[in-house]
Amino acid sequence: MKMKKVLCILMAAAMVLGTAACGSSGGDSSTADSTPAEDTADSTEDDGAAQEEAESQEEDSSASDEAATATGTLKVAAVETAYGADMWTDVCAAFEASHEGVTIELTVDKKLEDVITPEMKSGVYPDVILRAVGAESGLTETFVKDNNLVDLTDVLSMTVPGESTTVGDKILPGFVENSICNPYGDGKTYLMPMFYGPCGLFYDQGLFKAKGWDVPETWDEMWELGDKAKAEGIALFTYPTAGYFDAFFYALLHESMGNDKFQEALRYGEGIWDTPEAQTVFDIIEKLASYTESTTPANANDNDFQKNQQLILDDKALFMPNGNWVIGEMAEAPRAEGFEWGFTALPAVSAGGERASYSFFEQVWMPAGAENQDLGKEFIAFLYSDAAAEIFAGSGAIQPIQGMTDKLDGDNKLYYSIYDNGAVAVMDAFAATEAVEGITTRATFFDPVNSLVTGDKTKEDWVNQIKADSDALRAALKE
Amino acid sequence: MKKKRRSGFIVACTAPAIILFIVFMIIPTIDVFRMSLYKWGGYTAEKTFVGFENFKKLFQNPKFYQSFQNSILLIVIVTLVTFCLSLVFASILSREKIRGQNFFRIVFYIPNILSVVVISAIFSAIYDPNQGLLNSFLSLFRGDKDPILWLGSQKLVIYSVAIAMVWQAVGYYMVMYMASMANVPDSLYESAALEGAGRINQFFSITLPLVWTNIRTTLTFFIISTINMSFLMVKAMTNGGPDGASNVFLSYMYQEAYTNSSYGYGMAIGVTVFIFSFALAGILNAVTRREEIEF
Repeated sequence: MKMKKVLCILMAAAMVLGTAACGSSGGDSSTADSTPAEDTADSTEDDGAAQEEAESQEEDSSASDEAATATGTLKVAAVETAYGADMWTDVCAAFEASHEGVTIELTVDKKLEDVITPEMKSGVYPDVILRAVGAESGLTETFVKDNNLVDLTDVLSMTVPGESTTVGDKILPGFVENSICNPYGDGKTYLMPMFYGPCGLFYDQGLFKAKGWDVPETWDEMWELGDKAKAEGIALFTYPTAGYFDAFFYALLHESMGNDKFQEALRYGEGIWDTPEAQTVFDIIEKLASYTESTTPANANDNDFQKNQQLILDDKALFMPNGNWVIGEMAEAPRAEGFEWGFTALPAVSAGGERASYSFFEQVWMPAGAENQDLGKEFIAFLYSDAAAEIFAGSGAIQPIQGMTDKLDGDNKLYYSIYDNGAVAVMDAFAATEAVEGITTRATFFDPVNSLVTGDKTKEDWVNQIKADSDALRAALKE
Repeated sequence: MKKKRRSGFIVACTAPAIILFIVFMIIPTIDVFRMSLYKWGGYTAEKTFVGFENFKKLFQNPKFYQSFQNSILLIVIVTLVTFCLSLVFASILSREKIRGQNFFRIVFYIPNILSVVVISAIFSAIYDPNQGLLNSFLSLFRGDKDPILWLGSQKLVIYSVAIAMVWQAVGYYMVMYMASMANVPDSLYESAALEGAGRINQFFSITLPLVWTNIRTTLTFFIISTINMSFLMVKAMTNGGPDGASNVFLSYMYQEAYTNSSYGYGMAIGVTVFIFSFALAGILNAVTRREEIEF
């Protein structure tokens, strides 16, 4: 009997201890072990001792110029997109091979935030993160809004490891000098451009050939085509989700306003939405909404958006705004006979006017809490090397670096050569603000397109909302 | 001496549960209240204390009221419909002799063990405007007019979510009610039948009063689970769309806390939801209080 009681107490004590251990934030080893990313990551098993040794070595090598000789463990976290996870493992292996003594702890996951956020909340940050702005989680935006990034301006003047050019010279012009990479407008670069893809309107070339239609070059021609198509029971337009209007909106705004006013609009300039140029944009989108396939809003959510994309494949709608990833996304989908992907920049606002295509690109950056900043910068510089670019390109991920478009072939050439054919590349996004509670650019600017199509909101409602929210966002702009 | 040892033993035995409860329930709840007073993006070390600023903004925001309305609508509709359906089904299945009783029991319960993602996939197929089950069926009566956009129309979308939620919840509550109905002695029904009481009369005079305690408990469940499930359903089916028309409490909170970098504001929403659901459960508990009937 007594034995039983003692046993009970012992077991209870064990449970209490176990609870206490769970409650504490845990040491380095326990947090590292709990990362589910290990399934996908190719991280080399490093025991605590080796890590400590590496870290102490890291402290010894100090200046950033000597980073090439730095050793240590670098934590890299990248989101897995349509390009797959293998290219990251390969690039990290290549970096380790060229940098002796460096171990990379790689985390690649489709839901990257879910994997790295718990550690970040407890103050352990990856050194290098690849995650683009515009993701639903807003991870990158949150770091920008919180001024929580490492200044990467000096990476631009670093020499690409194993090559003679600097990173800055290698990146295509325009990709660094924009409001995404320089979020605070102070001339400093905090995010570095990685894989890019032109966004524009996708259509079925085969259908256009069969019907003898020309791809419209101005919006007036677009409406004419819309009426012609309507007579044949085909809608002019559809969109996957309202979120896809970001690229569309920026490009259209640029076409209509020209660069100076466009930049002003991105900073929510006072009265900018009352200008005739802005009104033109709203008018076009309103009209486009009336030409949109009527069931589009019902499927315009993350669950069903492919049904909207299917409308193009089935020749039930002519155009949709999208990026080149759509081809991979819909690779398995059934399609109309003679279907062939076509891609064009937005039609011009007036005959002979500018035609724009938004360049979506992902960004790589370092959180301010990164421990191995020098090594991290070295790694970022390495990402722009020919060796790395080749690995990325092998998975279809194209970086904005010199000479890359020459190496492309097949479908990819069609998309990336759009800028050679006279389309203007637009790369900016709305300026960074302090977090404004209750207001997101997506809910203010893009989501209401659904309401325009269903008729639940008028253009006036939409514009008034934009104006009111712009006032609040302007007041919160980062200096 | 012996008593002291005994109470010591009790303390030791309950300590794990109490500690778990404090660490995982009490402390996080207090933390939510504390965080709602800060402006914080979620990742930085620095948090700015803003007092009740978050709440002030919250109560001026039309989107919050929209999600509030949607949540209340769902709580009312889903609770009422699920409650009625599951009570009726439970009493039929436990009182009547129907062939394939077990089969129906299982069929009704299955939706409850399905994952929300599966349910949302099923319903997005049902609601599909062009090939969906619902529109195909309705076209028998209304012809091939413009298809109804179940998830696309801002007026319909929240009801579409409600239907999916009812479908999911009926089985669970039905089983709960059946369990307590099984405890009602048959003799009561027999004597009622002898007195000439019909089935409906029996239901209202015997079954309902005798399972009343159980019903009260489930009402609280309804509130909690509707608030939670509506988030999952909305997230999987519409993600708050179109244009925010199907946002509920928690999806709006998620959007603000994780997408809009306003963690503190999100926690303010959390506090409001917490207080609201507590108050609602309290009110329901008070108004449904009856003298307990023993059998």
